[in-house]
Amino acid sequence: MTATAQPTTAEPAIAADVSALGRLRRSTEDTATMLWRDMIRTARQPEMLVFAVVMGVFFLVLFNYVFGGAIGMGAGVDYLQFLVPGVFVITALQGAQQTSMGFAADLAEGVTDRFRSLPMSQVAVIAGRTIADAVRNLIGLILVALLALVMGYRFDSAAGAVAAIALTTAIGFSFSWLGAAIAAKVRQPDMVGMLSMFWLFPLMLASTAFTPADSMPGWLQPFATYQPISVAADAVRGLCEGTPATTDLTLAAAWTIGLLVVFVPVSVRLYQQSP
Amino acid sequence: MSRMNSVIEAAGLTKRFGDVVAADGVTFSIGRGQVLGLLGPNGAGKTTAVKMLTTLLSIDSGSARIAGFDVARDPESVRQVIGLAGQAAAVDEKLTARENLELFARLYKLPRNRRRSRINELIDRFDMGSFADRPAATYSGGQRRRLDIVAALVAEPLALFLDEPTTGLDPRGRAEVWDSVRALAAAGTAILLTTQYLDEADRLADHIVVIDQGRTVATGTPVELKAEVGRDILEIHVPTDGDFARARELTAAVPGASVNADRRQVDVPITEGAEQSLRLLRTLEESGVRIDDFQLRQPTLDDTFLALTGSPTKPLEEVQP
Ligand SMILES: Nc1ncnc2c1ncn2[C@@H]1O[C@H](COP(=O)(O)OP(=O)(O)O)[C@@H](O)[C@H]1O
Ligand SMILES: [Mg+2]
Repeated sequence: MTATAQPTTAEPAIAADVSALGRLRRSTEDTATMLWRDMIRTARQPEMLVFAVVMGVFFLVLFNYVFGGAIGMGAGVDYLQFLVPGVFVITALQGAQQTSMGFAADLAEGVTDRFRSLPMSQVAVIAGRTIADAVRNLIGLILVALLALVMGYRFDSAAGAVAAIALTTAIGFSFSWLGAAIAAKVRQPDMVGMLSMFWLFPLMLASTAFTPADSMPGWLQPFATYQPISVAADAVRGLCEGTPATTDLTLAAAWTIGLLVVFVPVSVRLYQQSP
Repeated sequence: MSRMNSVIEAAGLTKRFGDVVAADGVTFSIGRGQVLGLLGPNGAGKTTAVKMLTTLLSIDSGSARIAGFDVARDPESVRQVIGLAGQAAAVDEKLTARENLELFARLYKLPRNRRRSRINELIDRFDMGSFADRPAATYSGGQRRRLDIVAALVAEPLALFLDEPTTGLDPRGRAEVWDSVRALAAAGTAILLTTQYLDEADRLADHIVVIDQGRTVATGTPVELKAEVGRDILEIHVPTDGDFARARELTAAVPGASVNADRRQVDVPITEGAEQSLRLLRTLEESGVRIDDFQLRQPTLDDTFLALTGSPTKPLEEVQP
């Protein structure tokens, strides 16, 4: 091949800094940039915040006023006190589902194709989104907590409330990475929405978010006790009530960290694969 | 060819998708300030080649270097020196043009104090002021395309990849893209431009690589390509559809003959000189075909393309929606 070349005057290009420190700096910088971008997008779609709280509000009202009397809690137990921490966890999961749908829409939009050709950290593309979703989740949780207070819910202490909401946000964040992995694998936003029916609802309903495990059929109880949503609901409930149990908190932390350890690399790997 | 001088260098690039060999030994090199036109019909493998060169697709065999960096071994360095405007516009629809450029400038690690001036300069130079502060979702196809190309220029890339940059644009938008490509090449950027339009390659490219079904079928300057086919063409126009049908029938056996029904035009390659032209015209006349007009002409790039790939390129008019 003989493209006649002109004499070059270009200074030699500088190679990328691929040291661990270089990469870490780039990831941090790029995550901040992507967060900036996602926050602009969030601000331009305020309806997303409505979606973030609608499920929590729905379950709070439905279970408290409609099913409240029918759920066997034993005499003298206020169902609202039981319900609210569960609703927090459900709200966080709903946030994770939004990550999934939002990221799938991102992937369909084409701008992610450009991200893949840029000298940027590829983790940042997802991290920016999951962190932005965590921020939105936090706002949503505060709104749900305010509604709960209006309905008569009482936290044991302000510190407990802060700890409960912080833990819920962390759990939601780890589930957001699972949601991102599903989106990166499936790609079509519609399919992602459909799929969440299959993993989200069974986990939600067969959990201790709305009902105690011992009110469920015996065969379901082991699953309903140790699955992540139940563990999360029990741990958050402990913090709200001022009676945190070490086992619950340890299990919740283990699930949170476990989900991150698995789904951060998996989602990045899936995202980088060309569709 | 000196390695020092080539900014984009592809050697035997090959990619398979199952049974389809999307790119089959694509080889070329592009120096500073040069424009290479990668020309081929739909499905020829143009996008596949661009994606391999820009690190978006792994290379099955062959190799590529951009500004001296090996694409497979050092993709991170390659990404620092390339700009890509892919076939589909890749901008954030929710963000304005200014915000999009800010986003990409940050991701290219442009120093903070240079970002604003660079973005303003680009917005001015590419005449985007009137829409730069609206979300991209509200843009026309041409505006979005312009932003997409400008986004690839934020960090002044050494190598620019434009995958069908004018497809779907109106004539004015196309002319704007052409001007930009010329200006960027004049400033020293090495440009790989893919196109289905010969006219475009003819206007912009210093060098053309014609591919079809992944394989390179011809390379050369526009002038060389035209010369490669070499034969003159007898162009015949007839007055009625009946004459056209008859003329088409009578010339069908000549290798490389082609027709255009709308213009009632028959093109016949002439390989045996004047004698062949006369014989052909006489045959038509004797069969009762009336002839409005005929001329013996040099081949155009379109004829060349047809001869090389067996399929005609799309005329530029066809892209109008
Ligand atoms: N991801 C893919 N999976 C399977 N086949 C593909 C894929 N991408 C491209 N192809 C095939 O490879 C060939 C070349 O495609 P492409 O590079 O897009 O052509 P062009 O850009 O010239 O129109 C086509 O036959 C196309 O169907
Ligand atoms: Mg293409």
